[in-house]
Amino acid sequence: MSGVNAFRGPWTIAVYTWREGLRKKTLIGFLILSLLVIFGSNFMGSFLNQSTVGSEELDVNLKLVKDICVSTISIFGVLITIFISAAAVPNETENKVIYSILSKPISRLQYLLGKFIGIQFIVIINLALMGLLFFMALWFQQGTLPTLLLWSILLTYFEFLIVSAFTFAISCAATSSVLPTIGGFFIYLTGNLTEYLNDVKIRSGESEEFLDVIIGQTASVLSSILPNLQNFSLKQDILNLQLNDPPSDMQFTRLLIYGVTYAVSGFIIAVWVFRRREL
Amino acid sequence: MSVVIKAEGLSKIYESAMGGQDVHALTDLNLEVQSGEILAYLGPNGSGKTTTIKMLLGLIFPTSGSIEILGSKNPTSPAIKKEIGYLPEGAYYPDFLKGEEILKYYGQLYGLSGKDLKMRIDKVIDQVGMQHARKRLLRGYSKGMRQRIGLAQALISDPKILILDEPTTGLDPIARKEIRDIILNLREEGKTLMISSHELLEVELISDRISILFEGVQQTMGTITELLNERELSIEIKAVSDDVLKALAEKGLKAEDQVGERINLRANPSLTTYDAMEICKASNVTIIGVAPRRETLEELFVRVVGGALEAKRS
Repeated sequence: MSGVNAFRGPWTIAVYTWREGLRKKTLIGFLILSLLVIFGSNFMGSFLNQSTVGSEELDVNLKLVKDICVSTISIFGVLITIFISAAAVPNETENKVIYSILSKPISRLQYLLGKFIGIQFIVIINLALMGLLFFMALWFQQGTLPTLLLWSILLTYFEFLIVSAFTFAISCAATSSVLPTIGGFFIYLTGNLTEYLNDVKIRSGESEEFLDVIIGQTASVLSSILPNLQNFSLKQDILNLQLNDPPSDMQFTRLLIYGVTYAVSGFIIAVWVFRRREL
Repeated sequence: MSVVIKAEGLSKIYESAMGGQDVHALTDLNLEVQSGEILAYLGPNGSGKTTTIKMLLGLIFPTSGSIEILGSKNPTSPAIKKEIGYLPEGAYYPDFLKGEEILKYYGQLYGLSGKDLKMRIDKVIDQVGMQHARKRLLRGYSKGMRQRIGLAQALISDPKILILDEPTTGLDPIARKEIRDIILNLREEGKTLMISSHELLEVELISDRISILFEGVQQTMGTITELLNERELSIEIKAVSDDVLKALAEKGLKAEDQVGERINLRANPSLTTYDAMEICKASNVTIIGVAPRRETLEELFVRVVGGALEAKRS
C-alpha cells in the first residue's frame, strides 16, 4: 500500500464520520441545550438578591456565569464525547455499513483511525462552539479578552480525548453502544475521583483489617492505572483569577503529554481488541 | 477457465462461551469459482452462506481450511481486495448522502480520486441505470434504487470478482428483473459472480453453476444441466374419464392436474416421447400438446435439502 493511500483511507472515513455525526439528533440536542444554558447564564444575575450592590454584585454575577458555563461545557461536552465515541463502531456493525467498508482495501487499523479522527472532529467542533459562546459572554461582561478560558478549553479537550479513547476501545468489543456508554461514564467519573482513590489508599494503609487491605490495594491499582482527569480542570482558576491571567502552577507540556499518552494507550487497546474481532 | 476463488476444507466453529454446544457454522467446505461464471450459493437460512462470504472477505476468520483468491493465499491483502466488489445483504446507506456521494465515498476507499473517480462514478451509475437519480438524496430512493446503488458501490473499482449477498431479496418483480439484467451484463463483461440467494427462480435463470448448503455442509455442487438432469415429459390432453386416467397411470402417464377440459399428464422418465404418444393413441386420447419437462431448481433444492433433513432426522 502506498503511503498516500495509507492516510487517504482513514481521512475519507474521518470526514464521513464527522459529516454523519453532525446529523445525530441527540448530539445536536445536547449542543443546542448547552448553548442555551451558556447564553441564558448571562441573564441569571437579574434573579439574584438585589440587595448586593456595585462591584460586589458584578463579581457575584460573573462568578455565577463562569460557574454555570464551565459546568455546562464539562457536562454537555462529556455527554457528546461519550455518546459519539460509544456509538461510532457499534452502529456501523449493526447496520452492516462496516461490511462494505472493510471489504474495500482498508485495514482494520485504518478504519479505526478514521473513525477515531472523525469522532475527534465532532468533539472539537462542539467544544469550540460552546467555548466560543462562553468566551464572547465573558468578553462582553468584562471587557477584557478571557485568555485563561482558551487554556481551559484546550485542557478540557485533552480530558475528553482520554475519555473518548477509552470509550472507543470498549465500543470496539461491544455489539451495541450501551456498554461503551456506561464504560465511558465510569471512566469519566473515576478519572475525576482519582484523588479520592489516593485518599482511600492512604487511609486503608493505616488499618490491618483484611477488607481494608483489599480496598486499599484496589484503590491503589485503580489510582495508578486510571487517568487523573482533575489535572485538566482549570475551574478554580477561572472562578478565582482574572480571566486574562495565565494559568497558575501549570505544567502545560507535561499535561499534554500525559493526555496524549493515555489517548494513544486507549487507541492501542481499541486496535488490539478489534484486530481479530468477528464481524 | 481459471479458478478465481478456491476454498479447501473450510470450517467455522463458533465456540460457546458458557459451556454450551459449539455451533458448526461451516464444515469442510471445498469450493471453486471459475473465472467468468455465475455461481449461485444456495441454502436455507443459517446454512452457512453468509459465513462463507464473510470468511472470503476477511470479516470473520476460519477455524480451519484455506482460502485462495486470484491465486493469493492472503485474500485480505489490499491488492486482492481491490479486485473484489461486495454487496452485503440488507446493507444501510446513509440517507443524508446523494447517490453519487455514496459512490464517491466508496471510490475514495479504493484510493480513487479526481478524474478517475469521476469517470468510474459515471460508468457505474450508467451500468446500474441510476443516471436520473444520481443527485437525489438516498432518503428519496425506493428499495430497488438502494439496491442498485449498493451494486454500484460494489462495482466502483471495476473489480474482477463480485460477491452479492441476496441481491434481489425483498424487491418487486420489476426491480428483480432489472437487477437480473445488470448481473447478466456483468457476466457478459467477463466478471466472475458469486451470488447467495433465496430467489431460486432468479438464480435458475442466470447461474452457470450452483452449490447447495445445509447446516454448514455442502450437499451438492455442479452446473445447472448436471444437477437438473431428471427430464420428464409433460403431455396435455383433452379431459377423459377416470377409468381412462387410471389405465394411463398404469402405463406410466400420471395425471398431474386438470384445468377445465384439459388434463396434464406427467410421463414416467423411462418412457420416450414416442412411447408416451403411442400409449395415448392406443387409449383414444386427444393430445393437445407435448413438452419436455425439466426438474426446476426449486424442486432440486427441496429434494436436496429435504433429503439432508430426512437423513439428519433418521
